Amino acid sequence: MSAQRRYNVVLLGAGRIGRIHAANAARHARIALAGVVDPIAASARSLADEWQAPVTSLEAALADPAIDGVIIASSTDTHLEYCLRATAAGKAIFCEKPIDQDLARARSAATALSGARLLLAFNRRFDPNFRALKARLDSGALGTLESLQITSNDPSPPPPSYVAVSGGLFKDMAIHDFDTARWLLGEEPVQVYAVGSCLVDPQIGKLGDVDTARTVLKTASGRLCVISNSRRSGFGYDQRIEAYASQGMARADNVVASTVQVWGEAGAAADRFQNFFLDRYAAAYRHEMDHFADVLAGAPASVGYADGVAALALAEAAAESVRSGQPVIL
Amino acid sequence: MDRIDVALIGAGRMGQVHGRNAARHPGLRLRAIVDPRPAASGIAEELGAEIAALDAVLADRSIAAVLICSTTDLHLTHALAAREAGKAIFCEKPVDLDLGKARAAAPRFEGAPFVLGFNRRFDPHYVALKASVASGAVGAIESLHLVNHDPAAPPPGFIPTSGGLFRDFTIHDLDLARWLLEEEPATIYAAASCLVDPEIGRQGDVDTARVVLTTASGRMCVISNTRRSAYGYDQRIEAYGSKGLAVAGNVEQDTVRTLTESGSAGAPIEPGFAARYVAAYRAQLDHFVEVAQGRAASLSTFADGVAALALAEACDLSAREGRAIRFQGNPT
Repeated sequence: MSAQRRYNVVLLGAGRIGRIHAANAARHARIALAGVVDPIAASARSLADEWQAPVTSLEAALADPAIDGVIIASSTDTHLEYCLRATAAGKAIFCEKPIDQDLARARSAATALSGARLLLAFNRRFDPNFRALKARLDSGALGTLESLQITSNDPSPPPPSYVAVSGGLFKDMAIHDFDTARWLLGEEPVQVYAVGSCLVDPQIGKLGDVDTARTVLKTASGRLCVISNSRRSGFGYDQRIEAYASQGMARADNVVASTVQVWGEAGAAADRFQNFFLDRYAAAYRHEMDHFADVLAGAPASVGYADGVAALALAEAAAESVRSGQPVIL
Repeated sequence: MDRIDVALIGAGRMGQVHGRNAARHPGLRLRAIVDPRPAASGIAEELGAEIAALDAVLADRSIAAVLICSTTDLHLTHALAAREAGKAIFCEKPVDLDLGKARAAAPRFEGAPFVLGFNRRFDPHYVALKASVASGAVGAIESLHLVNHDPAAPPPGFIPTSGGLFRDFTIHDLDLARWLLEEEPATIYAAASCLVDPEIGRQGDVDTARVVLTTASGRMCVISNTRRSAYGYDQRIEAYGSKGLAVAGNVEQDTVRTLTESGSAGAPIEPGFAARYVAAYRAQLDHFVEVAQGRAASLSTFADGVAALALAEACDLSAREGRAIRFQGNPT
């Protein structure tokens, strides 16, 4: 029996999330990390050396018929352009969220990207806990889903330099939750209302962004979803879902750093939550890469370009609602 | 301290809860029950009270206090009559369904010995949460999440007289929001649907809602309501502060957990208000006795009832018109 083929992929972007995907790709049984591209030569070199991969360029990678796919983990403003170039070169694509910060521009790529072999990396869809919650809902054991509570609070705010280029809380952070809402509801929201405040860091407000928000989505059939976001929880990376159905409720709770609990005179205490996304979603990132191997092998992506556009549309609507103070009808 | 003679007005669902607690309370003597329904005589007998007419109770100077648990449409009439007669008043929520009427009556109750039945304010878990927040343990409160899900929809006959989900049910949460935020909401948005029972929709009401309140300082509160929760009476508060989160979770019927091949399982949560808030109803009555004795100022006033009713009216307007409502005492 011949050894299973490994697909050659090139990583674009050797930043924080790129390093995670590089490790998962390089360690994957069906994927080989065949190159690293980054405009900062030292970043590209150190990551490439770590996995004994060559430093390469986007042009070389796309021109090389031996390269099967690309992992786009570069800065957000390059996502859409790299997707277009990679699909034109016939490569399978793993692209970090968001697909773009501009809804009109993202939509303008529909012809080229609707049929692309493109996995959009909404990591929550690959988290074992959230998957198990969806499986319980899909089993029908809880009856019909009626409403959702999605909680997504970061442990601490990003630096102002990041906030300035992030696209704002809704496109940068809540976009995950908009996708999770669509994924679990199985129905598109038709009404979006959001409130946003700057309560955490005045610097974020000076940059025109908010750091605390609540969004209410309503679907055509009347189902409701509340999304809670904060850039600073004060108690760790707070990632939870509650799904209320006609015959019960399913909850995916926070993952704790350890299961140790202690009791003392002052009461009970439990360990902190797993801190931030690199830890909390470590398994999700691995499952994402598993799915990319499937896509490289010819399977359709379970989450792609259209999902990225739909989540971006909700993010724009939420930002518009904060500006106008009124719900936005989609 | 001498016992205070008290009369119960209305021996329905809530009246029986408060009547039983009053009959057992060391500071009270349940003298009379005002309720024309035949079933009331059995309750009066059980509790050692006599059936009496409202006029007789109000005229009886030896009865110093009343517990108003009549139907909602009579709360205000009974409260005003009792106030006129100089009684100390415990009154079930809401004070009325009509904001204008409630506002007009408000001056009569300023400084009065009047406790409104916002039972959550007396729940030991919620009191502990508020104390924890006040201690600064989680820093300054930035946002609240209030979950209030009824186990089962009320009978359809109740809906037309209820004032609707917001005035009847959400009003508890609107009061909790004011109590915990200690700041009045400046904007209100409510999204509501009929997902549980189509009959509720036919009667013009909703059974599932989410409400977002924001204060002038930008703090937020989300309220989650449904008339039917298949897993029990879901009553929770999450208070997000600058340094952490304070959570008051559901109360389970017992503490047993079983662990088997298929996972772990615990007892159901308390099935309804009578069980979940049993301690709150007792603490509320303790407080009422102190107010009636002149030893404490009311922690749940008529004015609180008016403020919550105004917010409920704003929720109703928001849900009907699909827009956010600016709120400066009046919904606009």
